[in-house]
Amino acid sequence: MDRTAPAIEITGLHKSYGGFQALRGIDLTVARGERVVVCGPSGSGKSTMIRCINQLEEHDSGTIRVLGTVLDGRLASLDEIRREVGMVFQQFNLFPHMTVLENCTLAPMLVRRLPRAEAEATAMRFLEKVRIPEQAQKYPAQLSGGQQQRVAIARALCMEPQIMLFDEPTSALDPEMIAEVLDVMVTLAQEGMTMVCVTHEMGFARKVADRVIFMDRGEIIEAAPPGQFFSAPQNDRTRQFLSQVLGH
Amino acid sequence: MTQTTPTRAVPRRRGLWRRLRHDYAATPAAALVTLVCGTILVAIAWTLIDWAILRATFDPAAGREACRAAGGACWPVIAARWRVILFGLYPYDEQWRAALACLVVAAVILLSCLPRMWGLGRLAAIWATGTALFYLLMRGGLFGLTPVNEQQWGGLPLTLFVFVATAVIGMPMAIVLALMRRSSLPGIAIPAGLLIDAIRSLPLLSILFTCAIVLPLVLPDFLIGEKLYRVVFGAALFFAAYQAEIIRGGFQAIPRGQEEAAKALGLGWRQRLVRILLPQAFRLALPATINQFVIAFMETALIVVVGFMDLLASANTAFRTGEWTFAHVEVYAFIAAIYFAFVFGLSRYGAFLEARMDAGQQRS
Repeated sequence: MDRTAPAIEITGLHKSYGGFQALRGIDLTVARGERVVVCGPSGSGKSTMIRCINQLEEHDSGTIRVLGTVLDGRLASLDEIRREVGMVFQQFNLFPHMTVLENCTLAPMLVRRLPRAEAEATAMRFLEKVRIPEQAQKYPAQLSGGQQQRVAIARALCMEPQIMLFDEPTSALDPEMIAEVLDVMVTLAQEGMTMVCVTHEMGFARKVADRVIFMDRGEIIEAAPPGQFFSAPQNDRTRQFLSQVLGH
Repeated sequence: MTQTTPTRAVPRRRGLWRRLRHDYAATPAAALVTLVCGTILVAIAWTLIDWAILRATFDPAAGREACRAAGGACWPVIAARWRVILFGLYPYDEQWRAALACLVVAAVILLSCLPRMWGLGRLAAIWATGTALFYLLMRGGLFGLTPVNEQQWGGLPLTLFVFVATAVIGMPMAIVLALMRRSSLPGIAIPAGLLIDAIRSLPLLSILFTCAIVLPLVLPDFLIGEKLYRVVFGAALFFAAYQAEIIRGGFQAIPRGQEEAAKALGLGWRQRLVRILLPQAFRLALPATINQFVIAFMETALIVVVGFMDLLASANTAFRTGEWTFAHVEVYAFIAAIYFAFVFGLSRYGAFLEARMDAGQQRS
């Protein structure tokens, strides 16, 4: 694994489902420690793009290089990448038959081969970080949505990944729970984690993003630092989108 | 859930009588239905109690005439014939071995049901010991025990053996078939689907016949084996075809995000299957699985058509001798009680498993 390579380098990424072109030629480089927020209307390909980075979706053409390793369909490179890339989903996707602690220790023990005691210590450290250590022995269904999503973040962090992907992490939450999840994500960003977040939380983008990317119909339309992105968008479609999300 | 539960139409404190009236006789029509159904139930219960207890003959020494005179159930038939019912054709002097073998099976099943035994090593040890003991007792031939051929096995030990072997062989087959049918490779999914559908389109009877009678004609000698094992294999295949579909249903009910989350954490195919998918699929498939086990237990009685004396067949012979031909209802009641004990235990255990797996998992 190349220590100097950018976190993520995507060139000419194409992906279609049947006749529908979800991604048509994405080029994106994310530097180590960079925070990128991806926004755009639904169906614009943002989730597909982020899911290609850890190969939950296989791309049709183009290259994806994560931490210097090319995702070429070989299982070895895939395993290597997935260990280093954590992901948080819109629907949390906690394992309902395991306690919070077991959710957090499973992958470190199976994939990183940590001894149980060490895995549990790591898990408690990250559960404290997401401010939920007292729920360690509960099952996911006993927690609120916001708590579940914070556990999901802790679960991903327990693998001590170098990159975190967030796929609309607050979209399934009740409004009063969005803040507690965003707070955790802000802390994470401030500690220098490389993050790619698909989100419509523009306040979050303004606060932590190094770059905001706007996607529409499978293409990156605009990419700019938040100051410029929000105050002086270059493209009509960006302006229209911003007026829709910010306009009321 | 923070909502207050709606207040009951009739609060408890207003007394049992008021509540009964509210539940069973709220309107004249409801009262009438209650009255009619209640009368029928009481009449049936009374007839049963009268036959089975009040006018029944219990004296083990009583014969046909004494029973006739009393007019009720003739329980001495059980005292006289229980060894035929329970052990069938198994040599009379060796039946203590068959009884011990039943206890071994029961002990193995009970031990496997205890959560503290759920480890691969422990279960393997229990089952290996249990199987070895069962064989030693039933087949004999070692330690001075007279050999007893599988053809002479009968009654309860045979029924238990066929059921347990069917389930233990059929379950892994079902998991493999379900996984094959879910495969994204058509070369694996299609043959599995065809096999499952083909077996499900055949009656169990025809499969048992094929295994018992046709297979020896087509298989090379070294593959034929004892008829009992061919029949058990057929029953296991039949069980597996249905159980595979039940497990596949469980798999399909798991949200797609579960496997994605496991993938994203770097878990490999086998880890995802064993740690994430199978436990959830089994939980979702549990009620239907218990159902399938119950059916498999009942279907063991079909092996009589290929010449085995299972519990039901042994019971049939028990009252076929001159003296007791009139007492078939009593014999059937006796084996019904045995079947009931096993199946009721099975379904209660299913309920226990459901409660255990749901612990802490209810939506709040």
